[in-house]
Amino acid sequence: MSSATPSSVNRLKSNDAGRHMIADYWDRIFTANERDAQLVWYNGAALNPIFQAAGLEWAHGEAFAARLSAQKLEKSAQLAAQEYGYVGELCSYARTHLGTALLARQAKEKYSKGIVDDAERDDLASRLPMPNFIVNCYAGCSTGQQWDEITHRILGKETPIFNVSLPFLWSNRPDAGYLKGQEWEEASDYVAAQLYKLIDFIEVQTGRPFDWDALRQGMKYIKEASEIRREAMAMCANLPAPATFWDWIASVAHINFLPAGPELVEYFSNIRDEISHRVASGESAIKDEKYRLYFDGIMNWNKLGTLARVFAERKVAIVAGRYTHNAFWQEPQLIDTDDPIRGMAQHYLLCPTNHGFQTIKHFTKHDCELYGLDGIVFHSTRTCRAFTGPQQMLAKAMQKEMGLPSIFFEGDVADESFYKGELLESRLEAMLETIDVRRSRDFIASSASNA
Amino acid sequence: MGHDTKNALQILKSVANNPQSYIANWKEKNSLPVIGIFPMNFPVEIIAATGALPVIIQDSKEPISEGNSLLAEFYCGYTRSIADQAAKGMLDIFDAFMNADHCIQLLGSVDVVRELLPDKPVYFEHLIAAMDDSWTKTQVQEKIEAFIIEAERVTGQPISDEALLACIQSNNKNRQLLRNIFAARRNGDAQFSPAELQAMIVSSMIMDKNEHSALLESVLADAVAKPRDQRIRLHLSGHFCHAPRVELFELLEDCGAVIVDDDLYTGARYISTDTKESMPPRMALADWYFARNETIPCPTRVQKTVDWDSYLLNALDNSGAEGVIVVMAKFCEAHMFYYPELRKTLNTHNIPHLLIETEHEGMPVETIRTRVEAMIERIRRKSPTRQITQESA
Ligand code: SF4
Ligand code: SF4
Repeated sequence: MSSATPSSVNRLKSNDAGRHMIADYWDRIFTANERDAQLVWYNGAALNPIFQAAGLEWAHGEAFAARLSAQKLEKSAQLAAQEYGYVGELCSYARTHLGTALLARQAKEKYSKGIVDDAERDDLASRLPMPNFIVNCYAGCSTGQQWDEITHRILGKETPIFNVSLPFLWSNRPDAGYLKGQEWEEASDYVAAQLYKLIDFIEVQTGRPFDWDALRQGMKYIKEASEIRREAMAMCANLPAPATFWDWIASVAHINFLPAGPELVEYFSNIRDEISHRVASGESAIKDEKYRLYFDGIMNWNKLGTLARVFAERKVAIVAGRYTHNAFWQEPQLIDTDDPIRGMAQHYLLCPTNHGFQTIKHFTKHDCELYGLDGIVFHSTRTCRAFTGPQQMLAKAMQKEMGLPSIFFEGDVADESFYKGELLESRLEAMLETIDVRRSRDFIASSASNA
Repeated sequence: MGHDTKNALQILKSVANNPQSYIANWKEKNSLPVIGIFPMNFPVEIIAATGALPVIIQDSKEPISEGNSLLAEFYCGYTRSIADQAAKGMLDIFDAFMNADHCIQLLGSVDVVRELLPDKPVYFEHLIAAMDDSWTKTQVQEKIEAFIIEAERVTGQPISDEALLACIQSNNKNRQLLRNIFAARRNGDAQFSPAELQAMIVSSMIMDKNEHSALLESVLADAVAKPRDQRIRLHLSGHFCHAPRVELFELLEDCGAVIVDDDLYTGARYISTDTKESMPPRMALADWYFARNETIPCPTRVQKTVDWDSYLLNALDNSGAEGVIVVMAKFCEAHMFYYPELRKTLNTHNIPHLLIETEHEGMPVETIRTRVEAMIERIRRKSPTRQITQESA
């Protein structure tokens, strides 16, 4: 009898322990109607602390599409979307979520006629309850805003909708840059002003005054959780890396939309402590780490396990990524917990697709230096033009300015038909050989100069 | 058609086919800057008021090579063509660039232009797409002011209200002339082919407006209406930012159709709305942004109070079009989002329609022909009068 090969992926145990938090969250969403709770559908930025303070339940569109996809339960939603007429090249997050909107509408219509469909009830994609209202707040990508506009239309135009417009940080002026310049300050004020209007809108929808103390309290927890998360991430500069990109992916839900509270802080504290312990004991996140790479692109939720394995089996630690390291309350020092709105607005502007190329290059270089990386893997995310836009220029610039090689592989956020695994593996191996050649050249050169 | 008309029309066609040569001549003659403008919502009057020439950058017919290693192959053809033109030096003729539109693919290509031409100003102000919000108007007004300041900076020319008004008037006149031609087509005049109409629009996007209007007037002076024949009447819908290939028009006509109306960007959409001359000019430019979306709604904007599908039904009523060809630039996300809404409405009203996706290179002519012929047959069968005409033919 053959025994299973031990996995080369050494996942954080604290992540596994916090997984139930995600399941609990979705259970609350699915039972919102039964509990007479008001539910808001939203896309894009992490507005959840505002919703939480207002006593609402909140369902994040991308998150639901990602969850369906990660559990391989996305097909019924995508089929509903296809039947309605959406072309397969449309953002698969949007396509999947619009499919769930169509299913939700259908379920509600049946329910009102007293029809109970068992198959439907068991299909996760059909279980998202209809929203009481919709809020859109999408940075970077024009698709995000159009998506909710269409959701609003397919739900029959009766569901109230509120749009927060987030200006793209293009960097027109010489003083512009990451977190600085007039453009940044003006955009921050502009978005903050809209958040106050959003809160007015929510007060009308809920019929009760907004609880500002609850928001301040929630942002205290988020700030603390974020500081701990950043501290833990920084420890991964250590060799070998105590945690990888895939561990950070597993905690995206927590930092991005789970309720703000002591449990969130505790979850990230546990992660930090486990990482710190690993650093002290020299425990590595993958077996025999030999290469350290950066991941650029949004996640391929269908292939999480596969991707983690493909890299680990080749002794590659993916240490950082644009999606995990340059998003999700990543600049906690901006949050003033007594007066949190402007710092929140700033985070909503800081989506990793909401910058011109120079800024993206700036933070990619920063991360590649900080984490001592050997190359970059670009996930050419087939239906996400926001993430893929600057990738080819970024690959060229990183090669030229830092000597970092890179590869591209095709896949998608929520449509596995676009994934090309064999190409990824052959390209990855070729890049690792390049890194080997470069290392031996550097070794010979340094031996010669020492001789 | 008289000699002058032919000549004037020929000039418009040649500008549309070869913008570079017009721009080079204009520059030599005027010694003033030429500013490249990205579609679809930038008010070009701002640039014209400095004396510079605003040119809406066109898709190049040249096959995309270098552009494919600058943007992903699943970016729309127009944006990859922009990247390709930048890499091949075809945009060097411009002194600066301006963009008001936040399509993520367009922004990707504009960023390529900025990287490849680092000495040229590439300016972007985000005209907020959510049209209904109470603060959008103020924001758009501020962006218009910012564009004016930047135009003054890059050209070194102050912009007076008088100059703005004069440019608004010349653009309005140009739009009105073109609208008259489009209205004549809608009302049954078939003297200009769809390719000629496209050349008129594209050349207007490139040329000095007074010069363009003078040529149009010359075309119209000799124009003789030609009643349209009995072929199946179609409306062309969509196709943003750039012109569909004229081969598509020829194919449709070959299949027994006649195009009677459209809402293409390089068509009725571009000329749909005048800028109000009764308003202070800076306010009027901001107002134009909103008014255009009321006249012909665009799926790149977010506005609860308008529907492209309702507009389309109304347009079909006005023109008597019997079917719709939805022309979608492949990978155009805004259009992909809205298409099912159009489809639903057209189906509800039992209006035959067909989706044709266009690519930058290559058109699957035979496949399209088969689908168009099938649709035309459906229309024939649907209409008793059509059947009689067919049988007696
Ligand atoms: S294209 Fe990408 S960034 Fe845009 S809405 Fe879809 S997943 Fe989000
Ligand atoms: S054609 Fe569509 S995708 Fe391409 S730039 Fe225009 S709006 Fe964007």
